[in-house]
Amino acid sequence: MSAATIALLGQPNSGKSTLFNALTGLRQHVGNWPGKTVEKKEGSFSYQGKDYNVADLPGSYSMSANSDEEVITRDFIASGKADVVCILADSSQLERSLFMLADYAGISVPCFLILNMADVAKNQGKKINPAAIEKKLGIPVMLFSATDKNAYDQFYKTMERAIKEKAMLNVTSLEQEYKKVDGYSEICETLSDAVIPGYTPMWLTVKAMEQDQVVTAKLRNTLPNGIQKTVEMFVKQSQGAIATGGCKFAWIDGILDGAVSESKTKAKLGKLDRIYTHKIWGKAAVILTVVLGLIASFIPALPIMVMGMGVDSVNGLIRTSLTDAGLSAFLTGLLCDVLIQGLSFVIKMLGFVFGVTLVFGLLEEVGVMARISYVFDNTMGKLGLQGKSVMPFLVSFGCTMGGAAGARVIDNWGQKVLTIALAWAVPCGAAWAIIPMLSTVFFGAGAPLIIVAILFVMILHMWITAKIFSRGLVKYEDKCGMIMELPPYHKPKWGSLMRYVFGRTKDTFFRVVKVVLLVSIVFWLLSYSTSGTENSILYKVGVTIEPFTKVFGLPWQLFIAFIASSFGKEGAVGVIGALFTGGGSIYQITTSSAVTENINQILLANVSRPEALAFIFAITFNLPCIVALAATYQEIHSVKWTVRIAAYYTFTALLLSCIAYHVGLLIW
Amino acid sequence: MHMDELLRLLKDGNTRTIEQLASELHTTDADIRRQLEFLEHIGAIRKISAQESGCGHCGSCSGGACKGCMPKNAKQNMGDMWEVVSV
Repeated sequence: MSAATIALLGQPNSGKSTLFNALTGLRQHVGNWPGKTVEKKEGSFSYQGKDYNVADLPGSYSMSANSDEEVITRDFIASGKADVVCILADSSQLERSLFMLADYAGISVPCFLILNMADVAKNQGKKINPAAIEKKLGIPVMLFSATDKNAYDQFYKTMERAIKEKAMLNVTSLEQEYKKVDGYSEICETLSDAVIPGYTPMWLTVKAMEQDQVVTAKLRNTLPNGIQKTVEMFVKQSQGAIATGGCKFAWIDGILDGAVSESKTKAKLGKLDRIYTHKIWGKAAVILTVVLGLIASFIPALPIMVMGMGVDSVNGLIRTSLTDAGLSAFLTGLLCDVLIQGLSFVIKMLGFVFGVTLVFGLLEEVGVMARISYVFDNTMGKLGLQGKSVMPFLVSFGCTMGGAAGARVIDNWGQKVLTIALAWAVPCGAAWAIIPMLSTVFFGAGAPLIIVAILFVMILHMWITAKIFSRGLVKYEDKCGMIMELPPYHKPKWGSLMRYVFGRTKDTFFRVVKVVLLVSIVFWLLSYSTSGTENSILYKVGVTIEPFTKVFGLPWQLFIAFIASSFGKEGAVGVIGALFTGGGSIYQITTSSAVTENINQILLANVSRPEALAFIFAITFNLPCIVALAATYQEIHSVKWTVRIAAYYTFTALLLSCIAYHVGLLIW
Repeated sequence: MHMDELLRLLKDGNTRTIEQLASELHTTDADIRRQLEFLEHIGAIRKISAQESGCGHCGSCSGGACKGCMPKNAKQNMGDMWEVVSV
């Protein structure tokens, strides 16, 4: 008598491989299925003097022809090579894992059902009655844990029973479900057992309704033309896989009814989630979380800012020492006003990069960022966007170029353009480093209020921009809903969080230091003149354009810094560093006060608070940088829209600057 | 037929959590999850990866190799998202 062959069938992670290894031990070999790159695992074992062959079929979700794995699996079974099919299901989630059994129903090969991971189900408090399930299915069923060596004796007995009884799955109640679907009975009546050997008319009808390509092709080759056309007509009229899938789930529920006892937990939300997902309070809670997060970012930023100020204070000593040592004024200025001053700015900026990354990284780690994303998702619909547009926006908080690239997940071109246009309004990482630094310099303890104001203006800006740009770009029917599975709240993994925060801070340092120093050198040189500052190129240009720049509340130096910020926000810091430092010529003629080495004091002496407010708003909402501009073009492939977005942001930045200046005049 | 209702709900353009869907359809989270798994399998919905935001220029976008890439190890705890492909 030849050895019986057992085919192991189950969804991925159903414990198939554990069972296969336990059954075969070293008596197994691995290869590929003919003509496919899918792994083929076969082996053998003996039980009570009898030999058995085992085929570990590829793990697949169902028996449909959606992948090579699924086609190989069902072809192997239907070929009759297996004497019995061992179907594995995960006991801890039978509602979903019995789907394979439901999809198998109708294949004319004996089978038995193994409810694996019984230990996990038991720990979940589930009580499963395999005898009740067996009665309904008509095939041997057993509770099992593939990791429990003592359970295998029972497994062998169940397997032998299935082989001996040639146990066939009772599909009566499943067919009753299918009969409720329009077109099922009509198609089924046209088919017979002989159409495709190994498959019943029920199984073939269901697969035809699901528009399974392999089954459809086989029916086309097998059925007479008239019947084929009738089948195709009913298939077209049917609800397809959605309807048959619903039948399978209904059948599974019927099988489990009375056989599994568990407390069916109705959807329950935690306290925090009840607030975040609340229709009214959700948005307020999220905005409050973001505002508090930004304010909290100042705390870890503070020690690093103090370090930056420390560099400022030694700058004076270094300048005196260099002058005493006889170094030329040019070299002393270059070293102190450009290098050391630039470094001081960069260190202060880094404080906020560190703070913002730490606080928002922490919020993400504990699961709060996902809730923020969820709340904003719903707002996206109101802006004419898809929910997934929120991801480019979140990425834009780090880098607008990343945000523009992130819009690639949006298929609709109009929505992609609108998403990128709105992503530009989100202050990037560089802006979040500069804004708090300048706010602290000019407004001291009032700096967090500036941050809050920026945040509110950002939301307003996005709303107005959406209204302006959405016309012609998006249609109501383009919108579709989204489903989110919010991650559970958990304690942060401090090690990985800190590695991420330090990594980001380090990357930012190297990127920013290059830009700041380069821009500082260029503008310092443009403002330097040995024959009197009035003769420097920059001064001449500056005083010429100042009547125009004053319209926006910006002195010419800050206007030039605004222009530089179009190439990269860090560039604005470089310009400020070059134009307002003590040894530089521009500073000396723009102020009559004595030379002071502290950049904070210099800025306070030369720039009024309304001007500073105007400048902060101007650079925050200016076009992000040249690279973001290029990334935008690369994603939307339209010069017209790229230019339109850039011009719009330049105009709105100056408009906001003008408004902020006049608001500032009212306050101070 | 929850799946019909589920897809109909998604037509309104709103975003819902699994718990909200379960509540609106008077069923359990597990039921919604298995339906999502099925709908994803037949291609009616698709999962969106937050990590797909590479810049497309550096050749190893997901690794945070350049400024435009999603930072390394970022957006790992943002949950799962699905969108409707066809209804």
